[in-house]
Amino acid sequence: MNLITRILQVSMAVLIFSASSFANEVNLYSGRHYDSDEKLYSKFTAETGIKVNVVSGKGKALMQQIITEGNSSPADLFVTVDAGNLWKAQKEGLFQKITSSTVDSVVPKNLRGPNNEWVALAKRARIMYYNPRTVTEAELDGLTYEDLANPEWNGRVVIRKSSNMYNQSLVASLVANHGVDATETWANELVANMARKPEGNDRAQIMAVANGEADIAVANSYYIALMLSGKKGTEQQAAANKVVPFFPSQNGRGTHINVSGIGLLKGPNTHNAVKLIDFLLSEEAQNHIVKNSFEYPIRDGVNAHPLIAQFGTDFKQDQTPVSSYGEFNPDAVKLMERAGW
Amino acid sequence: MFYKNLLDPWIILPTILFALFVVPVIWIISSLFGDYSDNWTHIYNYTLSNYIYNTIFIIIGTSIGTLIIGVGSAWLVTTYNFTGKNILEWALLLPFAVPPYILAYTFTGLFDSYGTANNLIRDIFSLPHEFIFFPKLRNVYGAAIVFSFTLYPYVYLVSRMAFINQSRSILEVGRTLGFSKFQVFYKLGIPSIRPAIIAGLMLVLMETISDFGAVEHFSVNTFTTGIFSAWFGLYDFHTAKQLAALLLIVVITFLILEKYSRRKNRYSSGSNVFSPIAAEKLKGSKNIFASLFCTIPVFIGFVLPNIQLAYWALNYKLDFFNEKFITTAWNTFYLAILTAIICAVLAIIINFSIRYRKNKILNILSSFLTVGYAVPGLILALGVSQLLVFMDNLLFREYLEFVLTGSLVGLILAFVIKSFALANSTIESGFLRINNRLDDVAKTLNTSGWKLLTQIHLPLLTTSFLTSMILVVSEVIKELPASLILRPFNYDTLAISTYIYAAEERMFDAAAPSIAIVGVGLLPIIILSRLIVKSRPGYRNNDNHYQSY
Amino acid sequence: MTEIILEIKNLRHSFNTDMEVLKGINLNVSRGEIVSILGPSGCGKTTLLRIIAGLENQSGGTVNISDTIVSDSKNFVPTEKRDIGLVVQERALFPHLTIIKNVEFGLKGRRDEKYKTALNLLKLFKVDVYANNYPHEISSGEQQRVAMARAMAPNPKILLMDEPFGALDHALKSELRDETKKIFKDNGTTAIIVSHDFEDAISMSDHVLIIDDGLVAQEGPAKDLIPITRNNSFKIA
Repeated sequence: MNLITRILQVSMAVLIFSASSFANEVNLYSGRHYDSDEKLYSKFTAETGIKVNVVSGKGKALMQQIITEGNSSPADLFVTVDAGNLWKAQKEGLFQKITSSTVDSVVPKNLRGPNNEWVALAKRARIMYYNPRTVTEAELDGLTYEDLANPEWNGRVVIRKSSNMYNQSLVASLVANHGVDATETWANELVANMARKPEGNDRAQIMAVANGEADIAVANSYYIALMLSGKKGTEQQAAANKVVPFFPSQNGRGTHINVSGIGLLKGPNTHNAVKLIDFLLSEEAQNHIVKNSFEYPIRDGVNAHPLIAQFGTDFKQDQTPVSSYGEFNPDAVKLMERAGW
Repeated sequence: MFYKNLLDPWIILPTILFALFVVPVIWIISSLFGDYSDNWTHIYNYTLSNYIYNTIFIIIGTSIGTLIIGVGSAWLVTTYNFTGKNILEWALLLPFAVPPYILAYTFTGLFDSYGTANNLIRDIFSLPHEFIFFPKLRNVYGAAIVFSFTLYPYVYLVSRMAFINQSRSILEVGRTLGFSKFQVFYKLGIPSIRPAIIAGLMLVLMETISDFGAVEHFSVNTFTTGIFSAWFGLYDFHTAKQLAALLLIVVITFLILEKYSRRKNRYSSGSNVFSPIAAEKLKGSKNIFASLFCTIPVFIGFVLPNIQLAYWALNYKLDFFNEKFITTAWNTFYLAILTAIICAVLAIIINFSIRYRKNKILNILSSFLTVGYAVPGLILALGVSQLLVFMDNLLFREYLEFVLTGSLVGLILAFVIKSFALANSTIESGFLRINNRLDDVAKTLNTSGWKLLTQIHLPLLTTSFLTSMILVVSEVIKELPASLILRPFNYDTLAISTYIYAAEERMFDAAAPSIAIVGVGLLPIIILSRLIVKSRPGYRNNDNHYQSY
Repeated sequence: MTEIILEIKNLRHSFNTDMEVLKGINLNVSRGEIVSILGPSGCGKTTLLRIIAGLENQSGGTVNISDTIVSDSKNFVPTEKRDIGLVVQERALFPHLTIIKNVEFGLKGRRDEKYKTALNLLKLFKVDVYANNYPHEISSGEQQRVAMARAMAPNPKILLMDEPFGALDHALKSELRDETKKIFKDNGTTAIIVSHDFEDAISMSDHVLIIDDGLVAQEGPAKDLIPITRNNSFKIA
């Protein structure tokens, strides 16, 4: 038992010391998980001498943690892959205004918070993927998200579960434009059109189209590039070549856009935090992000990766404010759950 | 009587310890006394019945699965000799190292319509593209199968210990009565160890209930996915907490009922001289059956997922094993061992207090700590956060330089609450196996509480102590959600690396850290099960007396 | 005038509110006396022993050891401070300790002195050759000898024995009874033996109590005890 006591004593000492930290630093709570992001932070540290400390986790869990920690929260920045979380954090009063000329000049107004509390770092579109052998030109002509509920798509559509936040944002944007009732009718019809019970991630939907299980899938834009890159194996590369990406609603509101974004919290290192935001919006960082994640850049003059750019970058984008995704997210979830999505 | 004992250290110490650890659980339950949002109408009308139905279905399926596999294999390796038994008796523990979500990921990788196994069948038999051999797994059946093959070791471990300690004469009587082998098993073997089986089953059920990763991957809505839907989807953390609280109340009720049901043998005496069961040699078809029965769970629960993971890792992502990996693995290992020691010490103190002072209040209250195992990790983590922030504001900000928030203390506290049930069930049954007469006699021999604990109980609890270490270590290595938000900055464990990728179903990226989890989990399982064999009292004098497992 | 070691006055005990097992027991035991408590199963004799040992707390009445109140409605001296020895039917040897360590367990003082005392007791009970063996390696008769040696080692004021020969076969029993009685008498040991076996009582003890239905039914010198074979009980002539 003496040994155990000793171990406990030593451990307590280690624990407490591990809690201490460096002075020139910035603390990041991140819901965005890319190995490449870590390299980006290292670059920032090399350029500025500011150490970037990261805790990663689910967006909502991190947000709740920030709320719990209250004034004593060490977090300076909150990174998320979904606009809804940014809206919620802003509504909870967790953010403060970012004062930065870079933000003002680089980021379009619909991709920041109302008072510059947060800014988008990269964009992704929620697009469709179809099987060119089974879907006709006529069917695609002017196709919108709303059209997927039409009877001609019966048994042909695949889309992932309603618990996925990309779907929640998409449906929230529909609620923002059409209201709950109309969107719910649409959701009911869409569920009836599904080729199978929703399962798997976005790539699984694309695979289902490639394998002939369905004719059309809804998934994020960067997946096609990721699959074509061969990083996910030859099988997925081959599958990606069997499908064609399609940007819906080009004659209407435009294709649904979501963002990875960063918000400025009321943390202890605000000055360093703003420096990191500026850095992430720099040409160098934007290039790094889009090269690794196949997202679309925020900054003009930076080009998307060729694997995704080949499908066109000047498509019409839905101008519905991304912050409305958060506002209507609960309504969207409820109506999807009612529809049995 | 109780007031007299208020100053007794054997009551004060466990009560204080208990109070600290139980705060986060109470915090969750207290949400039930708050307001109820409109979202409850939605949940009640549209989703709750589905959550409950699926959860009950999975629970029943998993119970049946783990009982058949766990009790059956424990019985076979204890009472019979058959081909491969010497390896299988410890290999049956290996699925402990495989978390349910990893088995779920590998299952879909293998058995989805265009998964590896289906492709293989199509290639071998030159079947058409549309042909799908294996049935769909992304449903409640699949979930029950995954839980059965990853969680049966809990039942196996406790049943095996109980069978070893079971009186040999019961079984011999059975044989003289002309019972068949199977009759001896279900008429005498099972009933005599029923409390142990139920204790093991409770662990399986709590782990099943709190699982999020596997059911989410299978797109099955359970009570726990409902909690997260309320939180992440409806942006309503309060309702999520209330759902979690409801779940806890149900589990606590079951725990107390379970305690109540075995109150009669609570202070019954265990044998202090082990009477071993002489294993009977099986021949022919019975031998093949026994071998297969014990090999299949090891194959499905351990070998198969590792082959799939190795395939992914080798093809796509080996650069995970770099110098950073060593730190990550060490962090994991260190946290696991530390948590295991704390859990075991805590369980020993609490159970000793219950035994030595017949502390009935603590006995009931300890169910509230045990229940931590059934709390979804993320919710528990926030409860722990709340406690730390409170303590920081109360104590540390004022008097000390450091803070608890964001330190490893939170992580360990969450792990301890999460895995206390595992340590408690083994330590508790260890205490039950110590004959109460030893305590009586020891007390007449000038023995204080401390001397009774350290010189009589602890040496006799060595096996239970090591077993509880195995359970807790493998749990902590596998545990995901708590580690995510509570860890200090830049602090990585293996589960985090896996989770970050797996949560986005990036299985190729998750494969290498998953294998590492399995590998790191394997090490303590093997080391500790070797130690357990050696730790049996009198082992060195009597090799045949105590069978290893 | 002999010194009274144990004095029990109007002892009552009930487990639940309605089930009274002891209904007012009185008992005096003098120094060096061996007293047997006889009675059928469930008559409360084991409970009586456990109350004397302090392993249960009685509902009413007083227990005195050497003129000190060890338990009544206000006072309770815990078992470890009562200076008693206990031998149980199951022997309850500590399975992780060798025979000699078992006997040394209750002793205080220097290691070599503890060893000497323990070894002498083992010699007395003729089990010294097993000093370094573990309990499960010796027979149950030998285990019972060790259990008695262990209980006597701290030289308690009174030795309490609960069915000490219950698990042994007949021949072994009478041999061990005779030897034990001789050791007790040589040593001046005060002992209470709880048993349902007539022969235990008549061969070991000086004085006998017969308990029935929670009360002392009969009491007298052991030599006057006679068995009633008809219903397997006893009476004192």
